[in-house]
Amino acid sequence: MHESILIYRNHRYLKWSAALIAVASAVYLFHSPVEKPNGGTWLGYTLGVIAAGIMVWLTWFGVRKRSYKPGTIKLEDWASAHVYLGLTLVVIATLHSGFQFGVNIHTVLYFLMLIVVVSGIMGLYFYLTCPRLIAQNRRGMTTETMLAQIADLDRDLRSQVMSLDDETAQAVSDAVQDTRIGGSLWRQLSGSDPDCPTTLARQKLETSTESTDQETRRQILSRLTKKEDLLTRLRRDIQLRSLLQVWLYVHVPFTLGSMAALFAHIVTVFYYW
Amino acid sequence: MKVEIKNVTRKARGGTAVKEEFLDSDIILIGRSPACDIRLTDPRVLLEHAQISSRSGGIYLTALSNGSVSVNESLIATRRLDTGDVISIGPYDITVESHMGGDALTVAVEMVEQSDNELESLLSRTNVDIGKVGTTKRVWSWAMFVVFLGALIIWPMVLDLLTPTNQFDIASANREGMEASPTAVWTSGGISAAHKFFGETCSACHEKPFVQVQDSACLTCHQGIENHATPERFPTASLEDVSCQRCHKEHQGDVSVARNDQGFCVDCHGSLTEDEPRTTLRNVFDFGSAHPDFRPSVVVNASLHVISRDAAMSDAVPPEEASGLTFPHDAHLRPQGVRHPARGNIVLDCGSCHIADASEASFLPITFAETCHQCHELTFDTQLPDRELVHGQPDALFKQIADTYDAVAMRGGYEEPEAPAIIRRRPGTALTEAEKAVAENWAQAKTQTILSGRFGRGQCDECHRTFDNRSTGVWVVEPVHINAQWFPKSRLFDHLPHGDVECGTCHAAKTSKFSSEVLLPAIEICQSCHGGEDATDRVPSTCITCHGFHFDHQSPMRPELEAAREKTIHRTFSVISPDTAGIKIADATDGAP
Repeated sequence: MHESILIYRNHRYLKWSAALIAVASAVYLFHSPVEKPNGGTWLGYTLGVIAAGIMVWLTWFGVRKRSYKPGTIKLEDWASAHVYLGLTLVVIATLHSGFQFGVNIHTVLYFLMLIVVVSGIMGLYFYLTCPRLIAQNRRGMTTETMLAQIADLDRDLRSQVMSLDDETAQAVSDAVQDTRIGGSLWRQLSGSDPDCPTTLARQKLETSTESTDQETRRQILSRLTKKEDLLTRLRRDIQLRSLLQVWLYVHVPFTLGSMAALFAHIVTVFYYW
Repeated sequence: MKVEIKNVTRKARGGTAVKEEFLDSDIILIGRSPACDIRLTDPRVLLEHAQISSRSGGIYLTALSNGSVSVNESLIATRRLDTGDVISIGPYDITVESHMGGDALTVAVEMVEQSDNELESLLSRTNVDIGKVGTTKRVWSWAMFVVFLGALIIWPMVLDLLTPTNQFDIASANREGMEASPTAVWTSGGISAAHKFFGETCSACHEKPFVQVQDSACLTCHQGIENHATPERFPTASLEDVSCQRCHKEHQGDVSVARNDQGFCVDCHGSLTEDEPRTTLRNVFDFGSAHPDFRPSVVVNASLHVISRDAAMSDAVPPEEASGLTFPHDAHLRPQGVRHPARGNIVLDCGSCHIADASEASFLPITFAETCHQCHELTFDTQLPDRELVHGQPDALFKQIADTYDAVAMRGGYEEPEAPAIIRRRPGTALTEAEKAVAENWAQAKTQTILSGRFGRGQCDECHRTFDNRSTGVWVVEPVHINAQWFPKSRLFDHLPHGDVECGTCHAAKTSKFSSEVLLPAIEICQSCHGGEDATDRVPSTCITCHGFHFDHQSPMRPELEAAREKTIHRTFSVISPDTAGIKIADATDGAP
């Protein structure tokens, strides 16, 4: 997808969405029902049907994008329309509610929808910014290259550690054996490891005065520094790549939650008509 | 610089294979990229990892783009190469076999490491995939779906089915069993203040699932709610096929469910004279700018109880009320005061006679006994200053006067000069039979004089209209009919919020000479403070500020539903019959002949 989904087809879906918002807002402004504006007026029902349709269609995108079969509508169209219709949904649903909120399941649905949309906006932001940052951070290397280089450095360090004093040797061995890359969700998202054994080993070596072989010490220090640099970049790489995915862990489950709430919303409104 | 590159491959069965390349370049690029002069195919090698260059008679190795490069196991950034140096990049060793200063170079490239235990170990401590953290999106998604479906619909529905329903009994105001329904979380908005006391019991109004609220639910309490106009006479205003909830929208929060928008009324009343030729009403659009002037319903014939609503307050001939009374307001409100029989001159104001009722919205009816009698004593004979006529009992009047003079004649001591001597005799002196006859004759003549003469008539005349009954030759007091409500199509005017306004601002009593004058303000007086619904410089006032929709004197809207309903509802107010709608004869025995 070389063309950003935001400007796809010369903003076609932006224009469609803006038109939908403009028409809905204009009708809302000139609409004066018996009661306060709400979901039960003819406009309320109309906007509700549109909003529900948009919600189901937006959810269907999750199914469509898994399919590699070429459909009649290109995936780029789906993605671009998904973004703009998702934003439009907030306006349509708010007008549908007539700005009436309360302690009830309908407001629960509204906030579930907001969570989905806001997480989607975050996802869009990550999609627009992270790939460039990832490329900048990698400087031509792949994740595998960086891991392989770290493994090389580890092997060299392991062979060189023999001549060090016991305490420093232990620190360097820890750096080789215990340095973890990525891990838990939080660790991946943080992009750092405050207790990184490699950093500790480098600091230990920098302050150590007991080393007998200055040349070996310099070699190890230089490798640890090199490894630290690779680790920093690798962790940043993991952080950026996890950002590309983590929002989906909010977006997708809350989408399913809002589908359940939408069902409840529609059924209960007519249950107590 | 001429360069010879030997690519060395060790064979599995021992021995080596060497493939040679020759090139002529001052810069030799080493890396993974196919564009490199020395291509090292391994992921640990960067695309452009290092370069060998010849300058100032030497050959130098420089690491590029932060790649790790060792020469003889020392990490270097840049270094001059000598014969025998071993360059390590990733799993490759590049051995400098010979060089001729900056002119020629021979290197051997060989992959010396195949095994990658360090990498495997590193990978075992590495998780770079967020998808491998905890549960998958799919599990979370279905969990959310199930949780919200359960919490929002299934759980309340099951609880509701398990809870016994109780019908609210407004007659006994019994709230027992009126706990909030579990399904109250389904509410689409707050309940109006008046309905809050049962608002969380959904089934109080929503009698059947998936069926709109029926009028029968409303009529459980609002039994006898009236029509807007007589349906047979004004079919366009019929409410026969109009459901309650078409106009009364509940779940809109703390606002009344009654409609108060002017447009709702103007929809019909804006062109009523054209659409309903039979109406006596006039078109109205907005109280501030297009409301007809007030046309009070006045009594035009007190004897026959004829009420008319023809003249408007601003007409050249304003409405006149023929109540049967003659009462000059101006004479009572003279600044110099009026004469009180005992206290001398007293100055009256409106409050001297018009006493506010308990609601302070209106005033108590004025009665002769409570109000007028304070000054107006009904004495009829200066010789008998302690004798007063009975007010409002004309039949008793004749007997009262006759009895009075009979008693006077029998007792004597009546000191009128014209009276016979036996009447003026010392009281208590016995009469002979002949004298008795004279005394009885005198008493009868005196009674007749009082009844037909100027004196008695002048007494009643002060406040009542009187006329001579030609058949009997006795004058008669006209019947009195005081109108209790001049505007029966409006709510009773609420004086309380207007309490700080001078009475005279609206009621021109000080200059009113005749009781036929209707002391109501013209609409302009009201409009000086009140505007229409959208007024910005007046009190915004809609139709229902003064008018109601369901009229008390109309027939019930849904008689068939009310008849079907077994439950009796005690209403706190009674329905006024159409005959006397809005009009009542105040204190009928007071002053009527």
